[in-house]
Amino acid sequence: MTFPWLTTLIALPALGAVLTALVPSGRGTLAKQVATGAALVTLVIGALISIQFLFDVDMGVEAETYEWIPEFGASWALDVNGISLALVALTVLATPIVALAMWHEAEDEKRDPKAFFALLLAVEALTLTAFLAQDVLLFYVVFEAMLIPLYFMIGMYGGPQRRYAAVKFLLYNLVGGLAMLAAVIGLYVQSIDAGDPSFFLPDLVALDIDTTTQWWLFLGFMLAFAIKAPLWPFHTWLPDAAAEATPANAAFLSGVADKVGTYGMIALVLPLFPDASRDAAPVIVVLAVVSIIYGALLAIGQTDMKRLIGYTSISHFGFIVLGIFALTGQAATGATFYMVNHGLSTIALFVVVGFLVSRRGSRQVDDFGGVQKPAPKLAGVFLFAGLSGLALPPLSTFLSEFLVISGTFLRYRPAAIVATLGIVLSALYILWLYQRTMTGPVRPAVEGMPDLRTREVAVVAPLIALLVVVGFFPKPLTDAIDEAVGPTLVEVGVEEPEPLAPVAEHVEEGTGR
Amino acid sequence: MNAPTIEYAELAPLITIFGAAVIGVLIEAFVPRKVRHPVQVAVALLALVAALVQVILLAGTGMVAAVGAVAVDGPALFLQGTILVLAIISVAFFAERRLEAGGDAFAPAASTLPGSEEERILVRERMLQTEVYPLALFAVGGMLLFPAANDLLMLFIALEVMSLPLYLLCGMARRRRLLSQEAALKYFLLGAFSSAIFLFGMAFVYGYAGTLRFGEISEALTANIGQDGILLAGVGLMAVGLLFKVGAVPFHSWTPDVYQGAPTPVTGFMAACTKLAAFGAMVRLFYVAFGGMRTDWQPMLWAVAIATMLVGAVVALTQTDIKRMLAYSSIAHAGFVLTAMVAADQTATAAILFYLATYGIATLGAFAVVTLVRDSGGEATHLAKWAGLGRRSPVLAATFALFLLAFAGIPLTSGFVGKLSVFTAAIDGGAAPLVVVGVIASAIAAFFYVRVIVLMFFSDPAPEGPTVAVPSLWTAVGITLGAAATLLLGIVPGPLLDLAQQASLFVR
Amino acid sequence: MNPTNYLVLSVILFSIGAAGVLVRRNALVAFMSVELMLNAANLAFVTFARMHGNLDGQIVAFFVMVVAAAEVVVGLAIIVTIFRTRRSASVDDASLLKL
Repeated sequence: MTFPWLTTLIALPALGAVLTALVPSGRGTLAKQVATGAALVTLVIGALISIQFLFDVDMGVEAETYEWIPEFGASWALDVNGISLALVALTVLATPIVALAMWHEAEDEKRDPKAFFALLLAVEALTLTAFLAQDVLLFYVVFEAMLIPLYFMIGMYGGPQRRYAAVKFLLYNLVGGLAMLAAVIGLYVQSIDAGDPSFFLPDLVALDIDTTTQWWLFLGFMLAFAIKAPLWPFHTWLPDAAAEATPANAAFLSGVADKVGTYGMIALVLPLFPDASRDAAPVIVVLAVVSIIYGALLAIGQTDMKRLIGYTSISHFGFIVLGIFALTGQAATGATFYMVNHGLSTIALFVVVGFLVSRRGSRQVDDFGGVQKPAPKLAGVFLFAGLSGLALPPLSTFLSEFLVISGTFLRYRPAAIVATLGIVLSALYILWLYQRTMTGPVRPAVEGMPDLRTREVAVVAPLIALLVVVGFFPKPLTDAIDEAVGPTLVEVGVEEPEPLAPVAEHVEEGTGR
Repeated sequence: MNAPTIEYAELAPLITIFGAAVIGVLIEAFVPRKVRHPVQVAVALLALVAALVQVILLAGTGMVAAVGAVAVDGPALFLQGTILVLAIISVAFFAERRLEAGGDAFAPAASTLPGSEEERILVRERMLQTEVYPLALFAVGGMLLFPAANDLLMLFIALEVMSLPLYLLCGMARRRRLLSQEAALKYFLLGAFSSAIFLFGMAFVYGYAGTLRFGEISEALTANIGQDGILLAGVGLMAVGLLFKVGAVPFHSWTPDVYQGAPTPVTGFMAACTKLAAFGAMVRLFYVAFGGMRTDWQPMLWAVAIATMLVGAVVALTQTDIKRMLAYSSIAHAGFVLTAMVAADQTATAAILFYLATYGIATLGAFAVVTLVRDSGGEATHLAKWAGLGRRSPVLAATFALFLLAFAGIPLTSGFVGKLSVFTAAIDGGAAPLVVVGVIASAIAAFFYVRVIVLMFFSDPAPEGPTVAVPSLWTAVGITLGAAATLLLGIVPGPLLDLAQQASLFVR
Repeated sequence: MNPTNYLVLSVILFSIGAAGVLVRRNALVAFMSVELMLNAANLAFVTFARMHGNLDGQIVAFFVMVVAAAEVVVGLAIIVTIFRTRRSASVDDASLLKL
């Protein structure tokens, strides 16, 4: 029997969460060390798994299936392909960074930091399970279950309005989740009717479901994912959660945990309900474009920096959903790649804003000004994170945005053109934010603001490095994603539109410009 | 002429419990007052454990005993086993003496006037109420018989044997005695009213079929053509009686009052065990006896299920008392079980059995936690007093949160698997719209469960808030078992689901 | 005489009982109305037993009488306790619990 890589990958953070929770109260530092250690070990395992897919070295990673609830035909079935690998990599990378970024956040509060770190690892385990699950019930269970630790993370450690934000977050997502529950059961009943009760994804994909039923099930799944992702008009919980949660938590929430929503769209909704997806694609594309523009416009109008980044995330999620429902190979690859890049860039933005907030004690844009004089390095990484957010070449975000838009252009020309407007707006909100906070006359309160500390450099450096490295060498990752996206689109049964030029050429053009 | 035979071996659990209850009455008469309490507790626990062992030994039996009056089959044994487990934990909660300075949750003597000199003397001398144990045993006996009854007469007798002791138990609270007595009065009057309606319905069913046996009624349904009016009236009236016992809308109005007024250990016992027994009886009656006319009663259950889920969830939102809130939540849960009942097949039976077991465990645990949060006036049941409990006593608050999450049906708790199985049964049985209503009701219900969690964990503690009492080992073990089962059945529900599936076949 | 008449009588008695429970405010009277309902059911059982020509219904009637007696014991115990506490047997006075 081969080594169960995937189960190990999930078990490590779960074990870490239990160990962290068992650290006696008052030993905060020890709890943090245990948690960060567990996250780092998980990162190593995740890296070993990635090697097989990125560089074609056989590490013995394969699909795993163990019996779980035989009465329902549900199993602990895990598998990894290019799409899930990209997100697994993002998750294992983000967790130690978020833990490190949270290092001092929890201390100022009177609350014990141990709960936050234990919950963070629990969410990591659940998120990884969601990305690897090949069983719809398993996916649903972790999809819903991760709400509870996230809810406590926002509600116990956030800002003054944290209760409101936490409850709103939970209720929105719970409503979506319950709609999905009805659809999951409906899907299961379809498999009962077909004679073989099962929650196993390939079995369910093989079912032939009539169009009307598909539509209802599609709605149930899509509602849950659209709230999670979040897509306009189901987005209103995100700005509140982003503003009230601690910066590290907000980074993890919108950078990693919310990706389960978009992952669900591409990995579950498209293959399970091909007819309904095809029929509904124009509607979803419109919603996605509205998200892009709406998020960007509202981001420009924000005075609260964390809320501003929350709105930029809505805009970026719009791009991801657009790429998925454009139903072209290029756009879907771009969307998956986008999920990773947006994760990295959002985490960087939230974390750097977190540094600013902890120094100044305020989230308001107006309370800052001229930061680049006392803290040039801090201003520098802020600018870098911002530029990654507006997808400046050659950062990795550029390529994904380019793939999404050019892929969409093949099928939905007007949508792609309007989405391009989103890029212009993103330049506006990022640069204006930079100008208002970092340049200009130095505000009295900002004088003497300390520059980046060693821990903070350790948090930001890997993010910056990744954004650059993946921007220059995207090929292993995009190839792996491409390989997985192909079969999904075949399942949907769409004809690939005539490409304007092969994808690889775009890449070269893009990076070389 | 042959004398009828009684299958003593198969009826052993019932005989054990009723025998022990009678012994309990004798103990009241002959054992000196000083040692009565430990003796009663010991007898009750021994009898319950013995009956549980007998039920386990009977597992797999499928027969009709006592000349066709009692069924010994999968659903009956499954429910009997579950009721016995819950009753054992309940008796442990009844016997809790650490919380009330040497007393338990019951008035030393129910007959003394509240506030009278007599009462004060009894409290001062640390006298304990011991009659509750035989009463509880009688109630448990009725509950064991109720889901096993295979003819109408036995069904009625079991209903009364189960209910009468419960009426009395409700009126015995040590604190807030008037409230408790009023709860007993209300429960008694409405309960007696509903049993009378049930009985009258029974008369009509008998008049239609000419027999009391479930199996023969089922045959009569296909043989007798015409006279449908009398049958429908009978079934409708019987349904009223049973829906009253399970607390379904519009026969639910007693639930919040009785849950609030009764001594909390009794509330937990009642909420968990009565619902199990009543649903068991209802499922058997409707599937075995009236299965042939399901198209006639399904629309009625549809309407009741929808009303129950929505009313339970919506009214719970406005509650400020934790016991009343749990009462409305139990109403909503009755609605969820009814969604599966509408499907009327074996999958539905298995789903109901599983749901009832998991619900019973979580309910008992939740009410036990309520007994521990106290201030100078006894239990602090007002929601506002629970603010900040998560800071004062994180373990207790987390346990209660776990039970609430199970009620809300969040994955990785037993409540989720239960909800999944009843909804699956409902959709499979062609009741998809009911499931949509169920999902909406779940979303509403989630709101008030979440509200309590917010209050416990994210609010600052009130300055004169309640303290969390340290319970005896028994209660601590009971709550721990409940929490562990709730979590474990959420992660690996396989074995219990399997058991429920094997136990889901009725004998006819 | 046609046995249907007895059934009609039992329905009338049952209705009077049910109306009594719902209308009368005195707990004792309400309780007596419940007893009336039980006896109406008994009459129906005995009538049906006669119509079907078997004894099952009559046996039920005996059991119901015993149950009714037990119910009286429990019910009066509860009502008397409440009466001693508050010197009133009116259901309306029992209002500590909101409906």
